[in-house]
Amino acid sequence: MKKKLISVLSMSLAITFLAACGTGTPKTSDSTSSGGSSSKGYKVAYIARAQSDSFAAWLANAVKDEAKKYPDIKLDVFDGQANDDTENSMIENAITNKYDLVIVQPNNGEAQRPYVEKVVKAGIHAITTNARISGIEGASSVDANPYEQAGVNARAALEQIPQNAKVVVLDGPSGNFHADERRKSWQKEFFEKRPDVKIVGEQIANWNKDEAMKYMEDWIQSNDKIDAVISMNDNMAAGALEVVKDNPKFKNMLAYGVDGTAEALLLIQEGRMTSTCMQSAYDLATKLLETSNKLLTGGEKQIDTDIGNPLVNKDNVQQYIDILKKSGAIK
Amino acid sequence: MDLRSNNLWNTAKKKYSIFMVLFVLFIICSLANPNFLTTSNLTNISRQLAVTTILAFGQTILIISGMLDLSQGSVLALSGVFAISAYKATGSLVVAVLVGIITGVVCNFINALMISTFKAPPFIATLAMLTMARGVALLYTKGQNILQLDKFVVFGQGSVGVIPIPIIFLVALAIVTWYILKHTRIGRSLYAVGGNEEASVASGINVHRVKYTAFIINGIFVGLAGVLFMSRVNAGLPNGAVGYEFTALTAAIIGGTSFSGGVGTATGTLAGAFIVGFLDNIMNLTSVDSYMQQIVRGAIIALAVIYDIQSKNRRTKSTLGRIEDKQNTKNKKAAVKK
Repeated sequence: MKKKLISVLSMSLAITFLAACGTGTPKTSDSTSSGGSSSKGYKVAYIARAQSDSFAAWLANAVKDEAKKYPDIKLDVFDGQANDDTENSMIENAITNKYDLVIVQPNNGEAQRPYVEKVVKAGIHAITTNARISGIEGASSVDANPYEQAGVNARAALEQIPQNAKVVVLDGPSGNFHADERRKSWQKEFFEKRPDVKIVGEQIANWNKDEAMKYMEDWIQSNDKIDAVISMNDNMAAGALEVVKDNPKFKNMLAYGVDGTAEALLLIQEGRMTSTCMQSAYDLATKLLETSNKLLTGGEKQIDTDIGNPLVNKDNVQQYIDILKKSGAIK
Repeated sequence: MDLRSNNLWNTAKKKYSIFMVLFVLFIICSLANPNFLTTSNLTNISRQLAVTTILAFGQTILIISGMLDLSQGSVLALSGVFAISAYKATGSLVVAVLVGIITGVVCNFINALMISTFKAPPFIATLAMLTMARGVALLYTKGQNILQLDKFVVFGQGSVGVIPIPIIFLVALAIVTWYILKHTRIGRSLYAVGGNEEASVASGINVHRVKYTAFIINGIFVGLAGVLFMSRVNAGLPNGAVGYEFTALTAAIIGGTSFSGGVGTATGTLAGAFIVGFLDNIMNLTSVDSYMQQIVRGAIIALAVIYDIQSKNRRTKSTLGRIEDKQNTKNKKAAVKK
């Protein structure tokens, strides 16, 4: 048994050693370079919040693809594993490994703030994205505005949701910047202006479809009528709609989300979901690489920029579906 | 009350207390909200519970034999996305289910290899599998949900007559678990290995085989749960079912399965799962705050574990008491009569 154990251990050590030799820098995911790895090339670290989060994974993939268009940029992607401590260590490693630019998609903005400040102090360019950590002198940012993302839906809902309506609300994880800003926006832009609307259920479904389904299943037991589902992202809205899809009582129920996921676009096209706000990973990726390129090659020290917050409803959904079809996300 | 009827009462209390708790909870829920006691709500609860209860049966078998599986949620996600891919590639529901089961079995075979052959502690070995299986699921799907499942949704959303298919799976696997534990040689060996591994070896039980079998049964259950889960949510979610192993463990522990091994039943776990399900349901029906729900769930686990330990202490004491009894039978009888 001892012999077996020793052989297994030595084999795994050998694999680790070989893997480390093969990659040069310690990283958790792919690296994308296109011939620019000469001494003139720029090394860029992209530190994702969590590769297990479907939007974060989409963004990381889009950033990788976009980087291929810049021959001077060599991009390495790291996975923060939805853990502040892991993400912070990765930022520190990027400083030690002397990257020319570090892009951080924070897990929790305030937890990463001192580490992004360290990046700037070390004379390395820093960009924060989705969501931005604002107010760091010398750090750039590329983001969508979460308040506005919910706001475009909320303002449309002012007209669409009937008088004395009963609604349910699905929230993102507590303490998450995007979750909190979107909920705040619904409060200010909708609920404060429509005191007639009653919230008959509100729960944290952690961005997840399965958790949202469970809450919705319970809510339809205790409510004969639900006029609208107000969800802080598309995944949870899709979960709520999955529950009532064959139920004629909820045929005219309205549903709002944010993100513009493939599933939400298809639901809007079918007329089952009312609207979402497009948070395009492609647009974010394009701006991130544009900004990186400007910082690395131009003389600019700090750039703060936003992508748009377009409302997607049945009138314009087709154009977004076409984009996803082109990229292969929908067949 | 003489000693004998006292003992009978204690045995009944130990054996059926979980069902009494379930019954009392059922009555309280029925009174707390008129929507609780409707056919549609009770069907709804059973359908919601199907996936985690099937996982809980797997945990029960493992805990009885002195192990546990922390990788259930990840392996479920992996089995589910592989099953969907198989369905999309072949258009066959049978192939999809088989691929789901095989994935579950392969992952659990590796768990058994680490634990039984290489003597890794189950907690660490299955923690490693938790990370690996989730990694494979994310790598395979590039972290993106698989959409447009077509007929695959029948497992999670279809019905036979008025009975939803997930409930049929739940009942069938409950019977299978009960039968294995109660009426088969391997079932008795599971209790023996969990109760005292060294004694089992001494009495000629092939401990390796028992452990491998326990994990393979768990693998079949997890694979099926993966198919049901993805089909219910109508999407292949590589990041789905995170933490489901803990819900399953909770159901098993509340149902009287003891972490020290050798103790547990299928019916107890089923009751444990329904206690958790009734509580979650009534808290949602009566609009209890999200944070409050977490506190209640935590408190229930704490109570169940404390009850388990206390009753074990009482059992130890009563065993010691019986030894004394034999030595001083006359004195004891006199004392009881007084």
